Amino acid sequence: MENNDDEITDDEFEDFADEEDSREVVVPGEVLTEDVTNFLPGRGTILNKEKNKIISLNIGLKQIKKNYINVIPLRGFYTPRPGDKVIALVVEKNPVKYKCDINAKDFGQLKPKNTIKKGKIRGFRGGAQLREEVSTEKYEIGDILVVKVLSADRLNKPELTTVGKYLGKKSGGIVITIDPPKIPRVIGRNGSMIKMLKNLTKCNIFVTQNGRIWLKGEDIAHERLLIESVHKIASEAHTIGLTDRMQDYIINEKKKRGIE
Amino acid sequence: MPLIIKDEYPERLFREDGKRLDGRAINELRPIKMEVGIIPNADGSAYLEWGNNKIFAAVYGPREVHPHHLSKPDKGILRVFYRMATFSVFDRKRPAPGRREKEISMIVSDCIEPLLFLELYPGTSFEVFIEVLDADGGTRCASTTIAALALADAGVPMKSLVSAVAVGKIDGKKVVDLSGIEDKAGEADLPIAITWYNEEISLLQFDGDMDLNDMNEFLDLAKDALKEIHQIQLNALKSKYIKLQEETLKEKEEKKGEK
Repeated sequence: MENNDDEITDDEFEDFADEEDSREVVVPGEVLTEDVTNFLPGRGTILNKEKNKIISLNIGLKQIKKNYINVIPLRGFYTPRPGDKVIALVVEKNPVKYKCDINAKDFGQLKPKNTIKKGKIRGFRGGAQLREEVSTEKYEIGDILVVKVLSADRLNKPELTTVGKYLGKKSGGIVITIDPPKIPRVIGRNGSMIKMLKNLTKCNIFVTQNGRIWLKGEDIAHERLLIESVHKIASEAHTIGLTDRMQDYIINEKKKRGIE
Repeated sequence: MPLIIKDEYPERLFREDGKRLDGRAINELRPIKMEVGIIPNADGSAYLEWGNNKIFAAVYGPREVHPHHLSKPDKGILRVFYRMATFSVFDRKRPAPGRREKEISMIVSDCIEPLLFLELYPGTSFEVFIEVLDADGGTRCASTTIAALALADAGVPMKSLVSAVAVGKIDGKKVVDLSGIEDKAGEADLPIAITWYNEEISLLQFDGDMDLNDMNEFLDLAKDALKEIHQIQLNALKSKYIKLQEETLKEKEEKKGEK
């Protein structure tokens, strides 16, 4: 459980990739372009009724990728999608299932059959017996789990699993929450920001898409510095040259606080 | 025995120099100040000072609907709770929601609903809480304006913002943005809200006594004022981010200069 702090690299996290892009702040209803022949409405945008303008739906940053115009949101909430790895808190359990808070509109459901590994398949008639008993005794209310979303849509409650690489119960450490749209910035381009944070503060850090970050360091001073840095990144997510600035900030703070 | 103080209105609502009692011209708005993101525990929030009106708005959601029977299986719902503080008006305001509160909650919600993509969030609700701390005329317009701003701050996808203003007739003249006393002693008042997506009117109420032929003039008068309000809304939303961007750019340039 110690070194499972690999960052997740998804297409999702390429949002803030081009740092030197224009960082123009747009708000809902703002006209992004009137040139509809060369540009298409992308994420966070819509055509107006006459189809001669592309307008923004969110408060965010305007981004032009090829011939698509996107708006990267600055505020928002987490919507679970199949395949997401998220940090969940067990809030309720009964003999049939656990209910987990995953920072979305619905509680996630974790069924006990999704918490244990199936045995190796032997012979030609079905698999072997399950090694563990199927029950909700494995986790307690209040446990922090890293789970994967198996299925999620807008109608049903998301279904979770703890079987897989890096998944399962987390013991120790601290969990902090930031605005979910700002998570890509904490990871940075190809994980540059997260690598820098790890090297400088010597902490294990696990960032998930629902805005929750698990971290564990050598001592409380390093952990505290990391938490402050993450909040600083979240509040300055829309500015240019953030990685360099954060590096200077952490080195300065380390000197100031007298931690090596 | 309750203490009854009779309302006394001035005989004339214009001063001798042709301006209104508070010194405004006929097409002048009261001073407006807006801020977003001031309630940290809410998903989105905004604060408005519009003349003597002081209004907070907070947005929560999408979240489960309570009571559950109000939820709709095919779309989300937008619930607005407009409340006035007991000390917000001259007489003590009874805190229980009455006819007026229900009406204003409904019109604010109906104003904004067409702009949201509620079909993406079935079975959930967005809740907007509007708390009027100080009231001096035109709180329904101010509430609509601030509710839209708070929703945009919460990151709820929406087609555009909504702005609202009241126009009316006092002492036979058409004026914009009626204050409390002009509202009560004047002849007519006409709150108008506009959605900037396609520039459609989404609220039009009327109270008083006026000629139907004046309608177009009223709408023209309102349109200019609404544009001004919309600009203030945009600035309120953007300023927080742009200020930080400029600061960091300046820092960067200073560092380059040092090197």
